[in-house]
Amino acid sequence: MRSRAILAAGGVLALTVALGACSENKNTDSDVDTDRVASGAIATDPKDSMGPAKAVEGAAKGGTFTVIRQTKISHMDPQRVYSFVGLNTAPLYARFLTTWKDDGKGNVTLVGDLAETPGVNVNKDCKVWEFKIKDGVKFEDGTAITSKEVAYGIARSFDPDLSGGPTYIQEWLANDAAFDTKWDFKANKTSLPPGLTTPDAKTLRFEFAKAHCDLPFAASLPATAPLPPAKDTGVELDNKPFSSGPYKLVKNTVGVEMLFERNEHWDANTDPVRNAYPDKFVYKFGPNAEAQTNRLIADGAEDQATLGWNGVDSSLVAKVAGDAALMGRTLREPTPSAWRLSINTQRVADLSVRQALNYAIDRPGMVKAAGGDLKVAALTTLMPPSTLGFKKFDAYPADIEKAKSTLAGKTPELVLVIGDDSGAQELGTQVKNNLEKAGFKITIKVIPADSKLDETKKKNNPWDLYLDSWAADWPSGAALLPVLFDGRTIKAEGNSNTSYINNDAINAEFDRVLALDPAAQAPEWAKLDERIMKELAPAVPLYADVMFVMQGSKVGGVYIDSIFGYPAFTRAFVKQ
Amino acid sequence: MSLSQIETDATGVDATAVPTAPQPGMVGRSPGRLAWARLRANRTAMVSAWIMVFFIVLGMAAPLVELVYGISPFEQFQDKIANNSLPLGYFGGVSGEHWFGLEPQLGRDIFIRLVYGLRTSLFIATSAALLTTALGIVLGIVSGYLGGWIDAVISWVIDFALALPFLIFALAIMPTVTARFYGPRDEIPVPFRIGVMIFLFALFGWTGTARLVRGQVISLREREFVEAARASGAGLFHILFRQLLPNLWAPILVSFSLAVPGYITGEAALSFLGIGVVDPTPDFGVMINKSLSYAQTDPAYLIFPGVAIFLLVLAFNLFGDGLRDALDPKSSR
Repeated sequence: MRSRAILAAGGVLALTVALGACSENKNTDSDVDTDRVASGAIATDPKDSMGPAKAVEGAAKGGTFTVIRQTKISHMDPQRVYSFVGLNTAPLYARFLTTWKDDGKGNVTLVGDLAETPGVNVNKDCKVWEFKIKDGVKFEDGTAITSKEVAYGIARSFDPDLSGGPTYIQEWLANDAAFDTKWDFKANKTSLPPGLTTPDAKTLRFEFAKAHCDLPFAASLPATAPLPPAKDTGVELDNKPFSSGPYKLVKNTVGVEMLFERNEHWDANTDPVRNAYPDKFVYKFGPNAEAQTNRLIADGAEDQATLGWNGVDSSLVAKVAGDAALMGRTLREPTPSAWRLSINTQRVADLSVRQALNYAIDRPGMVKAAGGDLKVAALTTLMPPSTLGFKKFDAYPADIEKAKSTLAGKTPELVLVIGDDSGAQELGTQVKNNLEKAGFKITIKVIPADSKLDETKKKNNPWDLYLDSWAADWPSGAALLPVLFDGRTIKAEGNSNTSYINNDAINAEFDRVLALDPAAQAPEWAKLDERIMKELAPAVPLYADVMFVMQGSKVGGVYIDSIFGYPAFTRAFVKQ
Repeated sequence: MSLSQIETDATGVDATAVPTAPQPGMVGRSPGRLAWARLRANRTAMVSAWIMVFFIVLGMAAPLVELVYGISPFEQFQDKIANNSLPLGYFGGVSGEHWFGLEPQLGRDIFIRLVYGLRTSLFIATSAALLTTALGIVLGIVSGYLGGWIDAVISWVIDFALALPFLIFALAIMPTVTARFYGPRDEIPVPFRIGVMIFLFALFGWTGTARLVRGQVISLREREFVEAARASGAGLFHILFRQLLPNLWAPILVSFSLAVPGYITGEAALSFLGIGVVDPTPDFGVMINKSLSYAQTDPAYLIFPGVAIFLLVLAFNLFGDGLRDALDPKSSR
């Protein structure tokens, strides 16, 4: 009898599970605004760079805002911050030379943060830049921030022991990729790197050997945060940074929890972007994406003012998407992380073959194979829509017949290399089946996922096609097109130009646009994007990642920043 | 050969011997027939056997099933996949055309992939079981009969093989072997992958059978019929495979029938870990690995391959149990 009872119970259980799952899956488009048009400006009027930040509707001061994340933040030292979570956490406890005013919908304005304006291009040749530090900006101990501390912060990023951060400014000052050999920070702690001067306590001056019109953008990275030399604890600063922002790190149990409390010396009137509504910020580390999502779905009392950093777990996307109440607590925006099918032009030298690849690709199918439209959004351009000056175009509208006629009877045999991680194999199968319909013969080569990036970045790699992604450090074509397609930068290993395209006309065009004023560059990059696609077709643009995160019912004001595509907390508040 | 005549006479109790003068009214039955009758009477074993036969026929006839069903295991039906990458409709896209629904993302038909997965799985498991059993028989019988230093060496190798952790060894050897034989632009052919898997199973799996056979042979080698054969001048090969082996079939059959389901799960486990068969080749382990992340949103994708492998392994195991009961009624469960 007992076994029958167990059997019956099992049957009932199985039936419930089956019936529970038996709801119809209908085809609905996600409401991710993939066609949103980005706009960007550089604020020249110092008023735009002054605080206080525009109030958020319905926001109230107070409360504790919690962020849960699977792993700890690799670096907290502002000079070493470069991970996405670090880049979006640093604004809580550090201020930079410049920063982005961002509506979370792609409309950004570069403003001064510590600086009164986002830089003055002194001779209009992008070689000499000046920044004036605001009055009334203070550290967590109440001492005033001057150009000296900002300069010291930049100087210490030359220290090879403090690696991990961005290297743009160091390379530009030293005019050499091996900047730490040009100027030794440890031996010259009381002086400044070549080209960096502080004529007075308010002024910071950069003098470069070459034109670098992107400096105002590069200065928005946390590496320009100030630090008094006396407070420099070297590698220890990673555990306890010295705050210049609205919060200070008061308790840091590394890898477990971080507690931020208000820095009473921070003055809202000097700050154009940070509202700093919550009294405290807490970061808790440990739960994976699935656990985070399940906790936020349950919305328990302690999780109501919580955001799950790692996003909605892919196994739960359909569950969240199918429930309007849960959907209301999510943020979903396209990110600047753009994926493309890179074509190794050293091996696939025939332009018609590369064009046929572009005609053949079935993007709706790729989006489905990549996990659906809440994971990725189709893309037909090399630059993602978040880039300033972005213009949507499709140089090769998908058409299998057109691909066949472009091939003109050829059946190119190409090798697609993929990593052995989960997800990659579906994409590989998708690409293979897709392209073989157009007459290609595709071989899939699986290699260990952890070495795939290094291997494809080798100039003489033996493969023809690979999936690549790129997320620019600032939303300018300058941080994307020349990096990925300037053939003069090709070296033996570690290439970002994984298409290995080298075209003199395009290279010259890069130089011309890079020398323009930053504001004038934006439309030129969009034109160049189209020209590269039409004339060279060095890659097949596929899709941009979509950020899909969930938050508790009492969270307000969080937005997906338009620069990196991750949750940003400058306007966050706890609903009272 | 006159020798075999002597042998049959000498061993009146031999399982293969046919009684010469059946008494009227009583039907004399050989041990084999007795076992067969016991097996026939065991309902669980018979049901399992039918399920087993069904699966084997289905797997072997996979191309035929494809012909009738009209869908290839690699065909993608992405127009039946919603924008959220899950199949349209109810229960993972189950419909008259797609009996078990479609895979999320790529939109391949689950039913035909299961049929082909069955073939992959059964082929690997049976080949591995046959190979390990053959190896185990030869080494066990030689080691048990000859004894001495040969027995010592073989026993030591058995202990050594048993001490090696199979999974770790498999994880290490798979990528190394494939990299050794194929260049950076070559796809690893499916038969090669399957071959390496079978080889790995054989390398580690023969020890059980070998030990079993060795023990049995040690208990048989001093028996009269062996002595008689030896006295008649029979060669080593004859004694091992004509005299001893026929008396060992029962335990060997049982161990074989229980090894097959073991290799089915073993193959699925290796493929689950990504070192066995890989996508796009249809396979249970790969399917279950992929479907795990859909447990909450598309349970049908997990249920169909899960139930299929469960039924397959259960049928093989229950039949193996039934076979043991039939061949050796004295052993208690």
